[in-house]
Amino acid sequence: MEENNNHSNIETETEEKLKTDLLTLNMGPQHPATHGVLRVEIKTDSEIVAEATPHLGYLHRCMEKHCENLEYRQVIPFCDRMDYLAAMNMEWGYVLAIEKMLGTEITPRAQYVRTMVAELQRIASHLMFFGTYAIDLGAFSPFLYAFQDREFILRIFEELSGVRLLYNYIWVGGVWRDINDDQLKRISTFLETLEENLKKYHSLVGENKIFIERTANVAKITPELAYEYGATGPVLRGAGVKWDLRKDRPYGIYDKFDFDVITGKGEKGTVGDCWDRYQVRILEMFESIKIIKQCLDGIEEGPVMAKVPKIIKVPEGEIFVRTECPRGELGYHLISDGGKTPYRLKVKSSCFTHTSMLGDLAPGMLIADLVATIGSIDIVLGEVDR
Amino acid sequence: MHNDIVKFLNESVSGCEATLRDDLAGDPVIFVNKENIYDVCKNLKEGKFEFNVLQVITGTDYEDRYEVSYILASYSKNSELILKTKLNKDKDENKETEPVLDTVTSLWKAANFQERECYDMLGVTFTNHPDPRRILCPDDWKGFPLRKDYVVEEVYNGMTVNPAEKINSADHNYFQEMKEKYGDKKVMHSWKK
Repeated sequence: MEENNNHSNIETETEEKLKTDLLTLNMGPQHPATHGVLRVEIKTDSEIVAEATPHLGYLHRCMEKHCENLEYRQVIPFCDRMDYLAAMNMEWGYVLAIEKMLGTEITPRAQYVRTMVAELQRIASHLMFFGTYAIDLGAFSPFLYAFQDREFILRIFEELSGVRLLYNYIWVGGVWRDINDDQLKRISTFLETLEENLKKYHSLVGENKIFIERTANVAKITPELAYEYGATGPVLRGAGVKWDLRKDRPYGIYDKFDFDVITGKGEKGTVGDCWDRYQVRILEMFESIKIIKQCLDGIEEGPVMAKVPKIIKVPEGEIFVRTECPRGELGYHLISDGGKTPYRLKVKSSCFTHTSMLGDLAPGMLIADLVATIGSIDIVLGEVDR
Repeated sequence: MHNDIVKFLNESVSGCEATLRDDLAGDPVIFVNKENIYDVCKNLKEGKFEFNVLQVITGTDYEDRYEVSYILASYSKNSELILKTKLNKDKDENKETEPVLDTVTSLWKAANFQERECYDMLGVTFTNHPDPRRILCPDDWKGFPLRKDYVVEEVYNGMTVNPAEKINSADHNYFQEMKEKYGDKKVMHSWKK
């Protein structure tokens, strides 16, 4: 009897001692899967994430403050450095805001060149996503394939602007230098090979059993959640919402082109999961190719720079301009007091918005799935922190 | 469209005093009273204009006031709106009152990060915010960078901010030299001091 009693005592004691608690784990700031310097504070219950809090600001340079002390033209290089993987798109948004305020008419050739470089940049950016996402999920070779193709685009940009990553190419009133026929010809041959390659890559990664297991049904984003958080771009379209600024509120000459808006259909799992967001980006590249081909057909001869005053003075007032960047909608809220420098320039970053979703998406998923989620919303920390 | 919104707001939210400013360049702006900001946002979201997405909350520092802008968008109606509210600075007793606004986090979850950024950069406090911390600057940072009278701390946690040996002053000195040599007009301007 006595022994038995002792035994039960011991049991209750060990049970008390084995009381479980949540473990706090820091993912980042130096972590390959966070694509930069993002720190996610995770509270885990064994392998399950119970709570995730993103901590931002490791790359904060307060660009908005810098811009207040710079002339309008000098701000453009700062825009490059926000989203350094899609610098052309970042420039275009800012330049568009000033042009709308000044009422500058852009020459047709400049419009075509702008559209072309922006779409090429979109392809380069999505290829980067494709490569890094595969690395996040354990496949290394797709990264090398993606970089081979991205290299061509960077070469072309280097010929155009002299720089490989941060171009300062789109200027107020047009573009810096004209594109020549040889470059156009090379772009058109490149597009043929790219189309073939993309199909190959997609079947290599997207149809892979392991990849599907890792991404399908993970981190489902419903349209309601997307609206609630103000998600845009591939994240919104991945949730099945047909919304693309190039189609719905066209800027530049996007209304001239014929292309489709890709939405997630839940082919491998449910609508709005990681696989859908991956697929939206891959198929978007084909749409970009379509647009560039139409550009190559329609491009006109002529100047690439409109007449712009030597010192830009934007009239008093304010404007909010949105453009469709590879990672989502980018907004510039420009407030001018009529002087040589912006009075206030607020950058609405889509990555910032998408990062805020992590806290809502993460609870209940495995730590490995969190890696897949961060990869699938494709953030660039330069844009998050600005 | 903006006239309709002003009319709608004045009818549905009493005392919000919505006014339209469209005489300046760019987009028209609607101003409302700061006390009614929550009700105004609620009506815009749930009313007939269906502004279901909050894009930006941000502020601007003027000499006598702060202006906080709420940029809303509607995907169903394909429209967008800049909504602004003025927070006057009272400098009566030699002490500035800090700007305070109601939070709209219960309407849009996006407001959480946006309001935190607005607080971090401009020091606008949002009452009843669920997580009122700084977001981009460290928690122990002093001052609000986007205020026009902001001065960077010289020492932060024992570290010198912008130490002289780490600043590349070569360009600056070069242009300074050129300016002295040739006068202001011929030389591209250097950054402001």
